[in-house]
Amino acid sequence: METRIRLLLLSIAAAAMSGCASMHWPWHHHKPDAAPSASSGTQDVDAPPPSVIEPQVERREVKVPKIRAKDIELGAYYGELSIQDFGAQPVEGGRLDYHINEDLFVEATYGRAKGGRTSYELLSGNVQLLSDAERRFTYYNLSLGYNLLPGEVFIGRNLAMTSALYMIGGIGNVKFAGDQNFAVNFGAGFRVLPTDWLALHIDVQDLVFKSNDIGVNQLKNNLQATIGATVFF
Amino acid sequence: MLALGALSLAMTPAHAARELLQLFVTQPYLELHTGPGRGYPVTQVVARGESLDVLFRRTDWFKVRTERGVEGWASARELQLATLADGSQFQVKMGDRAGFASHRWEAGIFAGDYAGATLIAAFGALSITDNLKIEIGASQYTGNVSDGELVEIGLAHVFMPEWRFSPLVDLGTGYRWVQPKATLATPVDRSDEVGYYGVGARFYLTRRFFLRGDFRKYVVFTRTNTNEVNEEWRLGFGFFY
Repeated sequence: METRIRLLLLSIAAAAMSGCASMHWPWHHHKPDAAPSASSGTQDVDAPPPSVIEPQVERREVKVPKIRAKDIELGAYYGELSIQDFGAQPVEGGRLDYHINEDLFVEATYGRAKGGRTSYELLSGNVQLLSDAERRFTYYNLSLGYNLLPGEVFIGRNLAMTSALYMIGGIGNVKFAGDQNFAVNFGAGFRVLPTDWLALHIDVQDLVFKSNDIGVNQLKNNLQATIGATVFF
Repeated sequence: MLALGALSLAMTPAHAARELLQLFVTQPYLELHTGPGRGYPVTQVVARGESLDVLFRRTDWFKVRTERGVEGWASARELQLATLADGSQFQVKMGDRAGFASHRWEAGIFAGDYAGATLIAAFGALSITDNLKIEIGASQYTGNVSDGELVEIGLAHVFMPEWRFSPLVDLGTGYRWVQPKATLATPVDRSDEVGYYGVGARFYLTRRFFLRGDFRKYVVFTRTNTNEVNEEWRLGFGFFY
């Protein structure tokens, strides 16, 4: 009952208001319309009513610039390689890394060193087991790395650099003593990034391969410790 | 709000000149980490409606700069909720199952056996469609009798790329170099054309990773009357991008 009364009152009020709006009260000043048609002085009755909201801003075309991906590291390293039976020798190499995600990366390395003289050669005077060319030790590795302990390194109060201790392992090939050998490599390294594009590395790896270069078939362990720098791009 | 957005866009022409992507945060806040990893601490947040410039990407993290000039790392998973200036969603290619089914590049490494010799191989592939890929490969084998290298180019057809385990067939051609072991009587280096056909399978592991195995038959077009036929099997992992 109450609802019906309320509805009735509301409809009366609505009718009255619309009536008021349509009436031309004598005391009401008629303001000139802002519409362009009004300014010309003639009001076209048949023209469609002007739209209430006219879009004044054109739709902005967004050009999506390509986001650079800096997942690739390229650099060089230098250090010491202990060639089993042939002494510890300087080693130099290059590395190419691709970071697949925050945990994993793949790495390709190429390195070279030159084997020294064995104890036997040193003690027995003028014996040469290998020629100079055969003493060249070259290798490449294809590895998978895992950022085991990512973190930050702080130097002083104002400098923080991202870093990671990583484990790495892979397969490759070693050319030494005039022979090619399938090799397995594994080790660990530490990477620190002073800037977003530069990384410094310390790596320790073991290159293992089977060889019979001194007449006996044996597993050779060649430990390598290097420092290096890479650039991200 | 829209007017404010338009105003801020109009007032930042320098950003457009540097060709950096500008994004608007839509979630209550976006966390900025100090490094590109989940464990790095969150030191800044960007509030809803604020904008940021994307400087570059590293794996699934984006280095961004806020309106206030603060730089930090946002994860792709969070940043894909942001919108571009025209209101459309920011699209990020994520390393997931959908990416495994449909991607443009893949690469990987293998270990295996080529005619009794130990094999190391690397491959790269470009997807023409989700099913069909152009593959290039390089491999090296070390055996008791000889060492050798192979380079090859071919086509691979993946059946059901959307399956976690998807079989494939491949066919191609290439070149092989052989160096017989120096200990043998007549060490003569040879190079020959090869053709191959094979079957294989891919198995999605996690993130951008999958396992891949292949079995191939190589026909080596030697200079003698009979062609050499070699079998190869290999197992390795690949990743897609």
